[in-house]
Amino acid sequence: MSKPIPKASGAKPEVGHMEEYQINQPAFLKRIRAECGDLAEYNLMGQPHVLMSGPDAQEAWCRAPDEVLGQSAAYKGIVPIFGKGVLFDTTLDRLKQQLKIQVDALRYQNMKAYAQVIADEVRDFTNQWGESGELEMVDEFLRMTLYTSTSCLLGVDFRRNMTDEFSELYRDLEHAVIAIAFIDPYLPLPEFEARDKARARLGEIVEEIVAKRRASKEEYTDALNTFMTSTYTDGSTLSPHEITGLLIATMFAGHHTSSGTATWTLIEFLRNPQFMEEVKQELAEVFADGGEVSHHAMRGMPKMEAFIREVLRIHPPLSTLIRVVEQDFEYQGTIIPKGYRVVMSPGVAHKIAEVFPDPERFDMHRPEPEHLFAWVAFGGGRHKCAGNAFAILQLKAIFATLLLDFDFSLADAADEYMDDHSGMTVKPKAPMTVRFTRKKK
Amino acid sequence: MRIKVDVDLCQGHSVCVEECPEVFDVREQAGSYHQVVVLMEQPPEALREKVMNAVRGCPNRVIRIEE
Repeated sequence: MSKPIPKASGAKPEVGHMEEYQINQPAFLKRIRAECGDLAEYNLMGQPHVLMSGPDAQEAWCRAPDEVLGQSAAYKGIVPIFGKGVLFDTTLDRLKQQLKIQVDALRYQNMKAYAQVIADEVRDFTNQWGESGELEMVDEFLRMTLYTSTSCLLGVDFRRNMTDEFSELYRDLEHAVIAIAFIDPYLPLPEFEARDKARARLGEIVEEIVAKRRASKEEYTDALNTFMTSTYTDGSTLSPHEITGLLIATMFAGHHTSSGTATWTLIEFLRNPQFMEEVKQELAEVFADGGEVSHHAMRGMPKMEAFIREVLRIHPPLSTLIRVVEQDFEYQGTIIPKGYRVVMSPGVAHKIAEVFPDPERFDMHRPEPEHLFAWVAFGGGRHKCAGNAFAILQLKAIFATLLLDFDFSLADAADEYMDDHSGMTVKPKAPMTVRFTRKKK
Repeated sequence: MRIKVDVDLCQGHSVCVEECPEVFDVREQAGSYHQVVVLMEQPPEALREKVMNAVRGCPNRVIRIEE
Protein backbone atom coordinates (compact mmCIF):
# COMPACT_ATOMS: atom_id res chain seq x y z
CA MET A 1 0.00 0.00 0.00
CA SER A 2 1.27 3.42 -0.91
CA LYS A 3 1.36 6.04 1.80
CA PRO A 4 -0.81 9.07 0.92
CA ILE A 5 0.92 12.21 -0.34
CA PRO A 6 0.53 14.97 2.29
CA LYS A 7 -1.73 17.66 0.83
CA ALA A 8 -1.19 21.39 1.35
CA SER A 9 -4.11 23.24 2.94
CA GLY A 10 -5.83 26.20 1.34
CA ALA A 11 -6.82 24.82 -2.07
CA LYS A 12 -9.82 26.56 -3.66
CA PRO A 13 -12.30 25.00 -6.11
CA GLU A 14 -11.15 25.07 -9.76
CA VAL A 15 -8.01 27.18 -9.28
CA GLY A 16 -6.44 25.18 -6.44
CA HIS A 17 -3.54 27.12 -4.90
CA MET A 18 -2.99 29.33 -7.96
CA GLU A 19 -3.75 32.66 -6.27
CA GLU A 20 -1.42 32.13 -3.34
CA TYR A 21 1.21 30.71 -5.72
CA GLN A 22 1.10 33.78 -7.96
CA ILE A 23 1.25 36.31 -5.14
CA ASN A 24 4.50 34.95 -3.71
CA GLN A 25 5.73 31.64 -5.04
CA PRO A 26 8.76 31.27 -2.71
CA ALA A 27 6.66 32.02 0.38
CA PHE A 28 4.00 29.55 -0.76
CA LEU A 29 6.48 26.72 -1.32
CA LYS A 30 8.17 27.41 2.01
CA ARG A 31 4.79 27.29 3.75
CA ILE A 32 3.77 23.95 2.28
CA ARG A 33 7.12 22.34 3.12
CA ALA A 34 6.68 23.51 6.72
CA GLU A 35 3.14 22.09 6.72
CA CYS A 36 3.68 18.80 4.84
CA GLY A 37 7.37 17.87 4.92
CA ASP A 38 9.55 16.48 2.11
CA LEU A 39 6.56 15.69 -0.11
CA ALA A 40 3.88 18.36 -0.41
CA GLU A 41 1.01 18.12 -2.88
CA TYR A 42 -0.52 21.30 -4.27
CA ASN A 43 -2.78 22.11 -7.16
CA LEU A 44 -2.56 24.71 -9.90
CA MET A 45 -5.69 25.10 -12.04
CA GLY A 46 -6.59 21.44 -11.61
CA GLN A 47 -3.07 20.13 -12.27
CA PRO A 48 -1.67 18.28 -9.26
CA HIS A 49 1.95 19.08 -8.35
CA VAL A 50 4.22 17.61 -5.68
CA LEU A 51 7.04 19.67 -4.21
CA MET A 52 9.98 17.39 -3.36
CA SER A 53 12.27 19.10 -0.85
CA GLY A 54 14.98 18.09 1.57
CA PRO A 55 18.29 16.64 0.30
CA ASP A 56 17.08 13.02 -0.01
CA ALA A 57 13.90 13.93 -1.89
CA GLN A 58 15.90 16.31 -4.08
CA GLU A 59 18.32 13.50 -4.86
CA ALA A 60 15.48 11.15 -5.83
CA TRP A 61 14.09 13.84 -8.13
CA CYS A 62 17.49 14.46 -9.74
CA ARG A 63 18.37 10.80 -10.22
CA ALA A 64 15.07 9.62 -11.70
CA PRO A 65 15.49 8.37 -15.29
CA ASP A 66 13.90 10.21 -18.24
CA GLU A 67 11.41 7.39 -18.72
CA VAL A 68 9.99 8.06 -15.23
CA LEU A 69 10.30 11.83 -14.92
CA GLY A 70 10.17 13.54 -18.32
CA GLN A 71 11.31 17.05 -19.14
CA SER A 72 9.56 17.71 -22.42
CA ALA A 73 6.12 18.80 -21.24
CA ALA A 74 7.67 21.49 -19.07
CA TYR A 75 9.30 23.03 -22.14
CA LYS A 76 6.23 23.09 -24.38
CA GLY A 77 6.11 26.90 -24.51
CA ILE A 78 9.67 27.14 -25.74
CA VAL A 79 9.56 24.57 -28.57
CA PRO A 80 8.89 27.13 -31.34
CA ILE A 81 11.82 29.24 -30.10
CA PHE A 82 14.32 26.41 -30.39
CA GLY A 83 12.60 25.19 -33.55
CA LYS A 84 10.88 22.08 -34.89
CA GLY A 85 12.81 18.88 -34.29
CA VAL A 86 15.17 20.48 -31.79
CA LEU A 87 15.62 19.20 -28.21
CA PHE A 88 12.21 18.80 -26.55
CA ASP A 89 10.44 18.45 -29.89
CA THR A 90 12.22 15.21 -30.80
CA THR A 91 12.26 11.59 -29.69
CA LEU A 92 13.97 10.80 -26.39
CA ASP A 93 16.85 9.17 -28.26
CA ARG A 94 17.36 12.21 -30.50
CA LEU A 95 17.03 14.54 -27.51
CA LYS A 96 19.78 12.68 -25.69
CA GLN A 97 22.08 12.94 -28.70
CA GLN A 98 21.43 16.66 -29.09
CA LEU A 99 21.97 17.30 -25.38
CA LYS A 100 25.27 15.47 -25.61
CA ILE A 101 26.38 17.68 -28.50
CA GLN A 102 25.29 20.75 -26.54
CA VAL A 103 27.33 19.62 -23.53
CA ASP A 104 30.33 19.03 -25.78
CA ALA A 105 30.45 22.74 -26.54
CA LEU A 106 30.85 23.45 -22.85
CA ARG A 107 33.54 20.89 -22.10
CA TYR A 108 37.05 21.66 -21.00
CA GLN A 109 38.60 21.87 -24.47
CA ASN A 110 36.41 24.86 -25.36
CA MET A 111 36.43 26.40 -21.90
CA LYS A 112 40.13 27.08 -22.03
CA ALA A 113 39.54 29.60 -24.80
CA TYR A 114 36.42 31.11 -23.22
CA ALA A 115 38.06 32.75 -20.15
CA GLN A 116 40.12 35.11 -22.26
CA VAL A 117 37.24 35.81 -24.64
CA ILE A 118 35.00 36.77 -21.73
CA ALA A 119 37.62 38.97 -20.08
CA ASP A 120 38.21 40.81 -23.38
CA GLU A 121 34.47 41.37 -23.80
CA VAL A 122 34.14 42.74 -20.26
CA ARG A 123 37.05 45.18 -20.82
CA ASP A 124 35.56 46.36 -24.13
CA PHE A 125 32.18 46.77 -22.49
CA THR A 126 33.41 48.69 -19.45
CA ASN A 127 35.57 50.94 -21.62
CA GLN A 128 32.29 52.66 -22.54
CA TRP A 129 31.57 53.51 -18.90
CA GLY A 130 33.85 56.52 -18.49
CA GLU A 131 35.67 57.45 -15.28
CA SER A 132 32.85 57.52 -12.73
CA GLY A 133 29.09 57.70 -12.43
CA GLU A 134 25.96 55.64 -11.74
CA LEU A 135 24.81 52.53 -13.57
CA GLU A 136 21.63 50.43 -13.59
CA MET A 137 23.18 46.98 -13.32
CA VAL A 138 20.26 44.70 -14.29
CA ASP A 139 20.34 46.10 -17.81
CA GLU A 140 24.14 46.48 -17.94
CA PHE A 141 24.69 42.83 -17.08
CA LEU A 142 21.97 41.66 -19.49
CA ARG A 143 23.80 43.41 -22.33
CA MET A 144 27.25 42.37 -21.14
CA THR A 145 26.33 38.68 -20.92
CA LEU A 146 24.61 38.78 -24.31
CA TYR A 147 27.96 39.88 -25.75
CA THR A 148 30.05 37.37 -23.79
CA SER A 149 27.79 34.48 -24.70
CA THR A 150 27.61 35.51 -28.36
CA SER A 151 31.41 35.61 -28.48
CA CYS A 152 31.78 32.18 -26.90
CA LEU A 153 28.98 30.56 -28.90
CA LEU A 154 29.06 32.16 -32.32
CA GLY A 155 32.67 33.26 -32.31
CA VAL A 156 34.62 36.44 -31.83
CA ASP A 157 34.43 37.39 -35.52
CA PHE A 158 30.64 37.18 -35.50
CA ARG A 159 30.46 39.20 -32.30
CA ARG A 160 32.72 41.93 -33.76
CA ASN A 161 30.36 42.32 -36.70
CA MET A 162 27.21 41.84 -34.67
CA THR A 163 24.44 44.20 -35.66
CA ASP A 164 21.49 45.62 -33.77
CA GLU A 165 19.40 43.27 -35.88
CA PHE A 166 20.74 40.27 -34.01
CA SER A 167 19.96 41.75 -30.57
CA GLU A 168 16.48 42.67 -31.74
CA LEU A 169 15.77 39.19 -33.11
CA TYR A 170 16.95 37.68 -29.86
CA ARG A 171 14.69 40.05 -27.95
CA ASP A 172 11.71 39.01 -30.08
CA LEU A 173 12.36 35.40 -29.05
CA GLU A 174 12.56 36.36 -25.38
CA HIS A 175 9.32 38.33 -25.52
CA ALA A 176 7.48 35.18 -26.59
CA VAL A 177 8.23 33.44 -23.28
CA ILE A 178 4.93 34.28 -21.65
CA ALA A 179 2.62 32.19 -19.49
CA ILE A 180 0.12 31.51 -22.29
CA ALA A 181 2.89 29.91 -24.39
CA PHE A 182 2.92 27.00 -21.96
CA ILE A 183 -0.75 26.38 -22.66
CA ASP A 184 -0.60 26.86 -26.46
CA PRO A 185 2.50 28.36 -28.11
CA TYR A 186 0.82 28.53 -31.53
CA LEU A 187 -2.04 30.93 -30.76
CA PRO A 188 -2.39 33.81 -33.24
CA LEU A 189 -0.73 36.41 -31.00
CA PRO A 190 1.58 39.25 -32.11
CA GLU A 191 4.31 37.97 -29.73
CA PHE A 192 4.27 34.56 -31.38
CA GLU A 193 4.20 35.98 -34.90
CA ALA A 194 7.27 38.11 -34.11
CA ARG A 195 8.91 35.05 -32.55
CA ASP A 196 8.45 32.91 -35.65
CA LYS A 197 9.76 35.66 -37.94
CA ALA A 198 12.78 36.17 -35.69
CA ARG A 199 13.48 32.44 -35.50
CA ALA A 200 13.39 32.13 -39.30
CA ARG A 201 15.69 35.11 -39.77
CA LEU A 202 18.16 33.83 -37.14
CA GLY A 203 18.21 30.55 -39.03
CA GLU A 204 19.24 32.43 -42.19
CA ILE A 205 21.98 34.31 -40.35
CA VAL A 206 23.42 31.14 -38.85
CA GLU A 207 23.16 29.28 -42.15
CA GLU A 208 25.22 32.04 -43.77
CA ILE A 209 27.97 31.80 -41.13
CA VAL A 210 28.00 28.01 -41.39
CA ALA A 211 28.41 28.18 -45.17
CA LYS A 212 31.19 30.76 -44.85
CA ARG A 213 33.02 28.65 -42.30
CA ARG A 214 32.70 25.45 -44.26
CA ALA A 215 34.30 27.24 -47.23
CA SER A 216 37.23 28.63 -45.22
CA LYS A 217 40.15 26.81 -43.66
CA GLU A 218 40.16 28.72 -40.41
CA GLU A 219 40.03 26.86 -37.08
CA TYR A 220 37.55 27.85 -34.40
CA THR A 221 37.15 26.94 -30.73
CA ASP A 222 33.60 28.15 -30.13
CA ALA A 223 30.30 26.34 -29.66
CA LEU A 224 29.30 26.84 -33.29
CA ASN A 225 32.38 24.91 -34.32
CA THR A 226 31.43 22.05 -31.99
CA PHE A 227 27.87 21.96 -33.34
CA MET A 228 29.10 22.04 -36.95
CA THR A 229 31.56 19.19 -36.49
CA SER A 230 29.49 16.89 -34.24
CA THR A 231 27.60 13.92 -35.60
CA TYR A 232 24.62 11.85 -34.59
CA THR A 233 25.19 8.18 -33.87
CA ASP A 234 24.17 7.36 -37.48
CA GLY A 235 27.04 9.56 -38.70
CA SER A 236 24.92 12.43 -40.03
CA THR A 237 25.70 16.04 -39.13
CA LEU A 238 23.33 18.64 -37.69
CA SER A 239 21.36 20.72 -40.18
CA PRO A 240 21.75 24.52 -40.03
CA HIS A 241 18.22 24.59 -38.55
CA GLU A 242 19.29 22.27 -35.73
CA ILE A 243 22.53 24.18 -35.19
CA THR A 244 20.54 27.39 -34.86
CA GLY A 245 18.19 25.71 -32.39
CA LEU A 246 21.03 24.50 -30.20
CA LEU A 247 22.69 27.92 -30.27
CA ILE A 248 19.44 29.60 -29.23
CA ALA A 249 18.82 26.99 -26.53
CA THR A 250 22.31 27.48 -25.15
CA MET A 251 21.96 31.26 -25.13
CA PHE A 252 18.55 31.08 -23.49
CA ALA A 253 19.79 28.76 -20.77
CA GLY A 254 22.71 30.99 -19.92
CA HIS A 255 21.57 34.54 -20.44
CA HIS A 256 19.12 35.71 -17.77
CA THR A 257 20.44 33.19 -15.29
CA SER A 258 24.01 34.46 -15.63
CA SER A 259 23.17 38.14 -15.81
CA GLY A 260 20.85 37.93 -12.80
CA THR A 261 23.53 36.14 -10.83
CA ALA A 262 26.10 38.74 -11.88
CA THR A 263 23.81 41.49 -10.62
CA TRP A 264 23.35 39.78 -7.27
CA THR A 265 27.05 39.03 -7.00
CA LEU A 266 27.87 42.72 -7.30
CA ILE A 267 25.15 43.72 -4.82
CA GLU A 268 26.26 41.08 -2.29
CA PHE A 269 29.89 42.22 -2.61
CA LEU A 270 28.76 45.73 -1.69
CA ARG A 271 26.51 44.51 1.12
CA ASN A 272 29.34 42.40 2.55
CA PRO A 273 32.49 44.53 2.28
CA GLN A 274 34.51 42.29 4.61
CA PHE A 275 34.00 39.35 2.19
CA MET A 276 34.72 41.56 -0.80
CA GLU A 277 38.06 42.48 0.77
CA GLU A 278 38.94 38.80 1.11
CA VAL A 279 38.14 38.16 -2.54
CA LYS A 280 40.09 41.25 -3.61
CA GLN A 281 43.06 40.01 -1.60
CA GLU A 282 42.89 36.70 -3.45
CA LEU A 283 42.69 38.55 -6.78
CA ALA A 284 45.73 40.63 -5.87
CA GLU A 285 47.68 37.42 -5.24
CA VAL A 286 46.51 35.69 -8.42
CA PHE A 287 47.25 38.74 -10.57
CA ALA A 288 50.33 39.94 -8.68
CA ASP A 289 52.45 39.63 -11.80
CA GLY A 290 49.91 41.42 -13.96
CA GLY A 291 48.88 38.13 -15.57
CA GLU A 292 46.01 37.57 -17.96
CA VAL A 293 42.50 36.52 -16.96
CA SER A 294 43.22 33.03 -18.25
CA HIS A 295 41.39 29.81 -17.64
CA HIS A 296 44.27 28.66 -15.48
CA ALA A 297 44.11 31.75 -13.28
CA MET A 298 40.32 31.42 -12.97
CA ARG A 299 40.62 27.85 -11.76
CA GLY A 300 42.64 28.83 -8.73
CA MET A 301 40.32 31.29 -7.02
CA PRO A 302 38.59 29.32 -4.24
CA LYS A 303 37.42 32.44 -2.37
CA MET A 304 35.81 33.98 -5.41
CA GLU A 305 34.17 30.63 -6.13
CA ALA A 306 32.91 30.25 -2.55
CA PHE A 307 31.45 33.75 -2.74
CA ILE A 308 29.65 33.03 -6.03
CA ARG A 309 28.30 29.73 -4.69
CA GLU A 310 26.87 31.56 -1.69
CA VAL A 311 25.26 34.10 -4.04
CA LEU A 312 23.70 31.19 -5.93
CA ARG A 313 22.48 29.69 -2.65
CA ILE A 314 20.73 32.87 -1.56
CA HIS A 315 19.56 33.90 -5.05
CA PRO A 316 19.16 30.79 -7.23
CA PRO A 317 18.16 32.12 -10.66
CA LEU A 318 15.66 29.33 -11.26
CA SER A 319 13.35 29.00 -8.30
CA THR A 320 11.62 25.81 -9.46
CA LEU A 321 12.43 22.95 -11.83
CA ILE A 322 9.56 20.84 -13.15
CA ARG A 323 9.21 17.29 -14.45
CA VAL A 324 6.19 15.31 -15.59
CA VAL A 325 5.59 11.89 -14.04
CA GLU A 326 5.56 9.50 -17.03
CA GLN A 327 5.40 6.29 -14.94
CA ASP A 328 4.21 6.02 -11.31
CA PHE A 329 7.13 7.31 -9.25
CA GLU A 330 7.84 5.91 -5.81
CA TYR A 331 9.63 7.85 -3.10
CA GLN A 332 10.12 6.20 0.31
CA GLY A 333 6.88 4.23 0.17
CA THR A 334 4.75 6.95 -1.39
CA ILE A 335 3.66 6.65 -5.00
CA ILE A 336 3.30 9.80 -7.06
CA PRO A 337 0.96 8.86 -9.91
CA LYS A 338 1.54 9.24 -13.62
CA GLY A 339 0.36 12.64 -14.87
CA TYR A 340 1.43 14.54 -11.77
CA ARG A 341 4.10 17.20 -11.98
CA VAL A 342 6.98 16.96 -9.55
CA VAL A 343 8.85 20.06 -8.59
CA MET A 344 12.26 20.66 -7.11
CA SER A 345 12.87 24.14 -5.80
CA PRO A 346 16.40 25.46 -5.31
CA GLY A 347 14.74 28.40 -3.56
CA VAL A 348 13.25 26.08 -0.93
CA ALA A 349 16.24 23.71 -0.81
CA HIS A 350 18.72 26.46 0.00
CA LYS A 351 16.74 27.88 2.90
CA ILE A 352 16.32 24.67 4.91
CA ALA A 353 17.69 25.57 8.34
CA GLU A 354 18.75 22.00 9.23
CA VAL A 355 21.00 22.01 6.15
CA PHE A 356 22.05 25.67 6.06
CA PRO A 357 21.94 27.07 9.62
CA ASP A 358 20.64 30.64 9.80
CA PRO A 359 19.77 30.30 6.10
CA GLU A 360 19.04 33.95 5.29
CA ARG A 361 22.49 35.08 6.43
CA PHE A 362 25.07 35.57 3.66
CA ASP A 363 28.27 33.77 4.64
CA MET A 364 30.89 32.79 2.07
CA HIS A 365 32.61 30.65 4.71
CA ARG A 366 29.68 28.29 5.16
CA PRO A 367 30.99 24.72 4.95
CA GLU A 368 29.82 22.87 1.86
CA PRO A 369 27.01 20.51 2.97
CA GLU A 370 27.88 16.81 3.14
CA HIS A 371 24.88 15.87 1.02
CA LEU A 372 25.60 16.32 -2.68
CA PHE A 373 21.99 17.25 -3.41
CA ALA A 374 21.62 19.92 -0.70
CA TRP A 375 22.91 22.75 -2.90
CA VAL A 376 21.04 22.53 -6.20
CA ALA A 377 21.43 25.90 -7.91
CA PHE A 378 22.22 24.02 -11.16
CA GLY A 379 19.91 21.08 -10.50
CA GLY A 380 21.69 17.73 -10.35
CA GLY A 381 22.03 14.30 -11.90
CA ARG A 382 21.70 13.57 -15.61
CA HIS A 383 20.12 16.88 -16.47
CA LYS A 384 22.19 19.09 -14.25
CA CYS A 385 22.81 22.38 -16.03
CA ALA A 386 25.54 21.47 -18.52
CA GLY A 387 26.70 25.06 -18.43
CA ASN A 388 27.47 25.02 -14.72
CA ALA A 389 31.24 25.16 -15.14
CA PHE A 390 30.92 27.78 -17.88
CA ALA A 391 28.65 29.90 -15.67
CA ILE A 392 31.09 29.89 -12.75
CA LEU A 393 34.01 30.58 -15.09
CA GLN A 394 32.15 33.48 -16.67
CA LEU A 395 31.25 35.04 -13.31
CA LYS A 396 34.82 34.71 -12.12
CA ALA A 397 36.14 36.35 -15.28
CA ILE A 398 33.59 39.17 -15.05
CA PHE A 399 34.33 39.96 -11.41
CA ALA A 400 38.07 39.52 -11.67
CA THR A 401 37.96 42.23 -14.33
CA LEU A 402 35.43 44.49 -12.60
CA LEU A 403 37.07 44.36 -9.16
CA LEU A 404 40.54 44.92 -10.59
CA ASP A 405 39.46 47.94 -12.63
CA PHE A 406 36.76 49.67 -10.54
CA ASP A 407 35.55 50.64 -7.09
CA PHE A 408 31.81 50.31 -6.58
CA SER A 409 29.30 51.44 -3.96
CA LEU A 410 25.54 51.06 -3.54
CA ALA A 411 23.44 54.01 -4.70
CA ASP A 412 20.44 52.99 -2.58
CA ALA A 413 19.93 51.55 0.90
CA ALA A 414 21.26 47.97 1.10
CA ASP A 415 17.82 46.45 1.79
CA GLU A 416 16.19 48.12 -1.22
CA TYR A 417 17.72 45.61 -3.65
CA MET A 418 15.18 42.82 -4.15
CA ASP A 419 14.04 39.99 -6.38
CA ASP A 420 11.11 40.35 -8.73
CA HIS A 421 8.79 37.35 -8.45
CA SER A 422 6.11 38.59 -10.82
CA GLY A 423 7.33 36.97 -14.05
CA MET A 424 7.92 33.43 -15.23
CA THR A 425 11.34 33.41 -13.56
CA VAL A 426 12.79 35.13 -10.53
CA LYS A 427 15.01 38.05 -11.45
CA PRO A 428 16.62 41.02 -9.76
CA LYS A 429 14.12 43.86 -9.60
CA ALA A 430 15.27 46.81 -11.71
CA PRO A 431 16.45 49.42 -11.07
CA MET A 432 19.50 48.19 -9.18
CA THR A 433 21.78 51.19 -9.24
CA VAL A 434 25.42 51.35 -8.16
CA ARG A 435 28.09 54.05 -8.28
CA PHE A 436 31.45 53.30 -9.84
CA THR A 437 34.87 54.92 -10.07
CA ARG A 438 37.58 53.69 -12.39
CA LYS A 439 40.78 52.92 -10.51
CA LYS A 440 43.87 54.95 -11.33
CA LYS A 441 46.46 52.81 -13.11
CA MET B 1 43.75 5.64 -1.76
CA ARG B 2 40.98 4.18 -3.86
CA ILE B 3 39.07 6.13 -6.52
CA LYS B 4 35.28 5.94 -6.68
CA VAL B 5 33.19 7.60 -9.37
CA ASP B 6 29.44 8.03 -9.68
CA VAL B 7 29.08 7.93 -13.47
CA ASP B 8 25.37 8.77 -13.25
CA LEU B 9 26.46 12.30 -12.39
CA CYS B 10 29.12 12.60 -15.10
CA GLN B 11 28.51 14.84 -18.12
CA GLY B 12 32.02 14.50 -19.50
CA HIS B 13 33.29 17.99 -18.67
CA SER B 14 36.84 16.48 -18.68
CA VAL B 15 38.48 18.60 -15.99
CA CYS B 16 39.79 15.37 -14.42
CA VAL B 17 41.62 14.36 -17.60
CA GLU B 18 43.25 17.75 -17.76
CA GLU B 19 44.32 17.55 -14.10
CA CYS B 20 45.38 13.91 -13.95
CA PRO B 21 45.50 11.99 -17.25
CA GLU B 22 47.36 9.13 -15.55
CA VAL B 23 44.21 8.18 -13.64
CA PHE B 24 41.26 9.52 -15.64
CA ASP B 25 40.03 9.39 -19.19
CA VAL B 26 36.75 10.60 -20.66
CA ARG B 27 35.29 8.47 -23.42
CA GLU B 28 32.47 8.50 -25.90
CA GLN B 29 29.43 6.51 -24.70
CA ALA B 30 26.64 5.26 -26.92
CA GLY B 31 23.44 7.27 -26.41
CA SER B 32 24.79 9.28 -23.52
CA TYR B 33 27.21 12.01 -22.58
CA HIS B 34 30.94 11.42 -22.69
CA GLN B 35 31.83 9.80 -19.38
CA VAL B 36 34.76 9.36 -17.09
CA VAL B 37 36.70 6.09 -17.06
CA VAL B 38 39.08 5.34 -14.18
CA LEU B 39 42.34 3.98 -15.57
CA MET B 40 43.89 3.23 -12.18
CA GLU B 41 41.67 2.45 -9.23
CA GLN B 42 44.44 2.59 -6.65
CA PRO B 43 46.92 5.20 -7.84
CA PRO B 44 50.28 5.65 -6.09
CA GLU B 45 50.75 8.32 -3.41
CA ALA B 46 52.90 10.32 -5.81
CA LEU B 47 49.73 11.16 -7.77
CA ARG B 48 47.73 12.29 -4.74
CA GLU B 49 48.04 16.03 -5.41
CA LYS B 50 46.94 15.63 -9.03
CA VAL B 51 44.05 13.37 -8.09
CA MET B 52 42.91 15.89 -5.47
CA ASN B 53 42.93 18.62 -8.12
CA ALA B 54 40.67 16.44 -10.24
CA VAL B 55 38.32 15.83 -7.29
CA ARG B 56 38.13 19.55 -6.49
CA GLY B 57 37.95 20.63 -10.12
CA CYS B 58 35.11 18.31 -11.16
CA PRO B 59 32.08 20.55 -11.73
CA ASN B 60 29.67 17.71 -10.96
CA ARG B 61 31.48 16.26 -7.92
CA VAL B 62 31.64 12.84 -9.56
CA ILE B 63 34.88 11.64 -7.98
CA ARG B 64 35.47 10.50 -4.40
CA ILE B 65 38.55 9.11 -2.67
CA GLU B 66 38.37 6.32 -0.14
CA GLU B 67 41.44 5.82 2.00
